[in-house]
Amino acid sequence: MGEDLRRLTEVDRLIHEPARLLIVTILASVASADFLFLQRETGLTKGNLSAHLSKLEEARYVKIEKTFKGKLPLTVCKLTAAGQKALTQYRQQLQDFMDKTA
Amino acid sequence: MEKNLSDVEQRVQRYWYADGIGELIGGGMFVLLGIYFALQEFLGQNSMVGGILQASLVLLMIGGTFVSRRLVNTLKTRLTYPRTGYVEYQVDERGTRGRRILAVILAFVVSGLTIAFARLFQFFDSIVAVTGVIVALILVVLRAKSSGLARFYILGAASLVLGFALSLSGLPNGYSLGLFYGLMGVCSLISGGLTLRRYLKENPLPAETENG
Repeated sequence: MGEDLRRLTEVDRLIHEPARLLIVTILASVASADFLFLQRETGLTKGNLSAHLSKLEEARYVKIEKTFKGKLPLTVCKLTAAGQKALTQYRQQLQDFMDKTA
Repeated sequence: MEKNLSDVEQRVQRYWYADGIGELIGGGMFVLLGIYFALQEFLGQNSMVGGILQASLVLLMIGGTFVSRRLVNTLKTRLTYPRTGYVEYQVDERGTRGRRILAVILAFVVSGLTIAFARLFQFFDSIVAVTGVIVALILVVLRAKSSGLARFYILGAASLVLGFALSLSGLPNGYSLGLFYGLMGVCSLISGGLTLRRYLKENPLPAETENG
């Protein structure tokens, strides 16, 4: 049990934060999504979402692009391969912990 | 924040159907397909126009798919993305290959079923009944199960009922098939129209259009 608990402390804390976990999970199930969609789905304020996205971008888990869809300006976010790997690893770690403690 | 991650993923997939635009365009295509089959039956295969119509079915299907995709994208860009945001979905290569294999298997099963039905039940218009089963399967397996939306189960049930009811109607093949597609198209148009009306009501255009 001690070993399991120690492993749990090794989870990626950047993803472990609930708001960022939600953002990363949403981005993992699509090719890309814009800021407005993420804001609506997460229920975060603009400032909060910007801050979380910046942290994810700094860690190179998320790529942010300013683009246009027709005449509509968009801030499009994509999960990078590193972000996808980190999320998969995080989910696996949690699953392993749950399996061992269940 | 205590949302189940799988629920989050399913809700994101469901977003594609939130505005009903796909059903509206699909319904329109079904109505046109219904008119096509009825017109073909009316003109007869021996007439020149009927022959041209029959030969051009594949072209019409490909063209219709292309036009409907463009229409869906245009309407989503104008109505949906400014209101609730833009999402680009992943194209799963393995899933696409799997669907192609499934389509080939389905085509063989359908051909076999149609021949078997035609031999077993002379009074039974097997083509429209099998069409009803296929459309219902597509609606339930590809739409309802992945999105979890009840309206696709209702449309699937309508397809089954219409398919079997029209197969017993005694109408010529082209008219029963035309009526099937026409009525399914109307059902889809109503479902899509009501969904779009509710979506627009619940999601007014934000004052500022730029996001981020």
